[in-house]
Amino acid sequence: MSLQFLAPKPSAGPRRIRSERPTALVLLSLCCLAALAMAALLGRRLAPTDPARQNLSESGLPPGSAHLLGTDSFGRDILSRVLVGARPALEGPCIVALCATAAAVVLGLLAGFRGGWIEAVIMRAADMVLALPALLVVIVTVGLFTGGYWLAVVMLIVLTAPSGTRVIRSAVLAQRTLPYIEAARTVGVTNRRLMFVHILPNISATVVASLLLDFVGSLIALSSLSFLGLGSPPGTPDWGKMLVENRGLLEQNPSAAVAPAVLLIVAAFSMTVLGDWAYSRLEEGKNVRD
Amino acid sequence: MSATRGLLTVLIRGRRHGAWLLRAQGGGEARGASPTDDKVASAAIVRASEEPLGTGSDGAAKVQQRPSRACRPHPADASAWPGDGPEDLLTVKDLRVVNARSGRPLVKGVSFAVGRGETVALVGESGSGKSLTAKALMDLVPTGLSCSGSARLLDTDLITAGQRKLRRLRGSGVSLLLQDPFTMLNPLIRVRTVLGETLPASPAGTPRRSRAQVTEEIDRRLAEVGIAMAGAARAYPWELSGGMRQRVGLAAAIAKEPVLLIADEPTTALDATTQREVLRLLRRIQRSHGMGLLLITHDLQVAFAMSDRVLVISDGELVEQGEPQELIENPQTEYTKQLLAAELPLHHRRQELLSRGATAEVTEHSTVDPSERSSPATGDSAAEALTMPDSSALLRVRGLKKTFTPSHGREVWALQGIDMDLRHGRSVGVIGESGSGKTTLARCLLGLETPTSGTIEADSIRLDLPGPRSRQRSARARELIQCVFQDPYSSLNPSHRVGYILGEAIRLRTDGRVAAKEVKSEASRLLAQVGLPASLLDRRPPTLSGGQRQRIAVARALAMRPRVLVCDEPVAALDFSVQAQVLQVLRDVQTSGVSLLLITHDLTVARQMTDELVVLHRGEVVERGLTAEVIDHPQHEYTQRLIAAVPTGSPDWLAER
Repeated sequence: MSLQFLAPKPSAGPRRIRSERPTALVLLSLCCLAALAMAALLGRRLAPTDPARQNLSESGLPPGSAHLLGTDSFGRDILSRVLVGARPALEGPCIVALCATAAAVVLGLLAGFRGGWIEAVIMRAADMVLALPALLVVIVTVGLFTGGYWLAVVMLIVLTAPSGTRVIRSAVLAQRTLPYIEAARTVGVTNRRLMFVHILPNISATVVASLLLDFVGSLIALSSLSFLGLGSPPGTPDWGKMLVENRGLLEQNPSAAVAPAVLLIVAAFSMTVLGDWAYSRLEEGKNVRD
Repeated sequence: MSATRGLLTVLIRGRRHGAWLLRAQGGGEARGASPTDDKVASAAIVRASEEPLGTGSDGAAKVQQRPSRACRPHPADASAWPGDGPEDLLTVKDLRVVNARSGRPLVKGVSFAVGRGETVALVGESGSGKSLTAKALMDLVPTGLSCSGSARLLDTDLITAGQRKLRRLRGSGVSLLLQDPFTMLNPLIRVRTVLGETLPASPAGTPRRSRAQVTEEIDRRLAEVGIAMAGAARAYPWELSGGMRQRVGLAAAIAKEPVLLIADEPTTALDATTQREVLRLLRRIQRSHGMGLLLITHDLQVAFAMSDRVLVISDGELVEQGEPQELIENPQTEYTKQLLAAELPLHHRRQELLSRGATAEVTEHSTVDPSERSSPATGDSAAEALTMPDSSALLRVRGLKKTFTPSHGREVWALQGIDMDLRHGRSVGVIGESGSGKTTLARCLLGLETPTSGTIEADSIRLDLPGPRSRQRSARARELIQCVFQDPYSSLNPSHRVGYILGEAIRLRTDGRVAAKEVKSEASRLLAQVGLPASLLDRRPPTLSGGQRQRIAVARALAMRPRVLVCDEPVAALDFSVQAQVLQVLRDVQTSGVSLLLITHDLTVARQMTDELVVLHRGEVVERGLTAEVIDHPQHEYTQRLIAAVPTGSPDWLAER
């Protein structure tokens, strides 16, 4: 008797990839972030004038043909300052997000996968750090040591990593009991490979989401510090600093304070949208697509 | 199949799976339009029970329609169906379920009828649409799917009726018994609450039942489903066994005396012996209540034993229907014939599980090249029971004990002194029900558990010693013993490509001393050995079928060139038709000189695959011997019970003792 039907039917072959088209909001966010990244990389060249050039005769001008976004109280061109300010605004959060997530991945994998005392030490330490009011600690330290921007970045890395560690540990715990881990063990895969080669790709969605959220968190934290007068030195074109410097100009040139605020909001919002989208893409990609 | 797991949403207030209920209640928008008139007219309800035995028609028709008078084309007017017997309880006509987003049809115009007091089985493989059909009848289709067609039960169309009407019908009109007794009852709600919620309201005019009356009623209903245990009503579901839980589910499902009970794989999650009892009970209750029963199952033998009529569904279409005896003796369609042929016999060993062409997706070098293997096959040189202690054995287990000590409660003996041997090139089956210690034994052999006492010796290496094994020793152990796990859906890393999965094992075996090119060619050779094309190397497991994944798992194990392959329920998660493919691959592996240790609850699989059997019961070996001996002449009472529980497809199998 022929049992040819036992061979898989052609229709049951590879499952088709039905790639989800990104929504308009996601595309818009991507465009915004690309524009901001451009500004951060090429800010000085894009700026129409020197952001530091003062001209007291032009102070507090509203937007016009000479200065598209007007000038501040020293007569400095707002557009130039905003463009040049993109780098300090985004550079710090990028570094915080990358370093904090890298630390969280290593610690989370160790804690979730190894268990035992390693887990106890890592997680209790994380709990302790999480118990601190992060922003307050940064304000106090940066204020005391006058270390400025880079000290704030380092502090933020230390204070952001624990929450990521927690999230990643729980993702690892969900993977650790799956049979593919045991199967890999029976062919003799080492623990390190199990963690970084076998588990890590399967929790990539969580890692990416945590990366992007850390970025948003530290973007806001760093600009708050600038707003308070900590962090970047006086005179630097920093969005947070511009907010506080140009508060008094709201009557004459509102865009001097509004422009950096809008850019901060756009950056944070786009990153959140993108994080959401990346997470859902990676989650479903893991399970079905090739 | 997993999609059918859920809760008796319809009956028990859906606390746990409330989402289902909500969806069912708000799902009106998911219902599609009624079918167009010409579709209705062309649809045919085939009621084979009224027909004489088919006398061999051409079998080319899409839906096998037995003699033509059975085909009753429907008039466009749905209100009066000529030929509709008064006994017809449920009439499903041209039921379609479509994925609204992609437009892919999942159920493609299914029509059938269930009479009063009749049992109809809907049989199909996973993905055939059998569970979706049941869900459509209960208005439980997942969001994103839309139903059309009609399903008339007692003057109500289940597909188009409003929520209010459906709600009244649920429980008293139609009710559903779900597959997985372990998740369908809310673990925090006592049995009596579950049943109390499902009791019909007292008739109007009579006083509400007193507390004592309710208790009495609950006890009566528990007794009806065979739970006589004192205090069962006060128990929580997690205090009961799977069989008991399924009985509670049944008691709840029939509490409002439904005229139609839909049972979706009601015994699939249960042990074989429990399955028989629950099926017996289901049949007895169906008869005493005169209910119509729509039994959804993947198991042909269960369907044959239980039902008056069997509907075979494949790929969303009914391919054939008829009385069990008719189908067994004279299947009309190729598909049914093939399904029947894929059933594994218990009482003899098939020479070939499959025709050769079907095992392999590639026909060129698909068979094993014996020269690739270091050790030749021994065949069946020995005649006596070889699992008995034997010093020349490849794998020797002596006095193996394993206890688990939970942080709370008494320690549990999983294995109570196992002695067994596995000789070179032989295959030994370990059989028993869940909880008998089969899997613990496998895990001890693989070094995933450390035995409490006893020894495991393979090729003069001790595998049981606790603590971190030395590198060489564990490397040698790995090359001796490899494993194929039960669930191919989770035993392969979903993020890695097949080529990487196999390549990793090869590199580990050779300590990375081979060139990438050789690794790749060996990986394709391994794929060929399990009958898969090399083109799969670049695919990731989620894009492969269950059978393909399990064969890749076999290939990964073979990449270590083991001498013993431990298979823990290798085909339990697979469809019948795919089972044979994987089993044939494993037979080929054994022929090439690898000893097999097959752990299974399925005696038909054990019969086909093994030379010797070890029967485990509560962590002890109760019987052992040559497979044919043990199955044909079981000595121990437990073995006899296991063998009697294998479905035979005959109604006598379910006859009350």
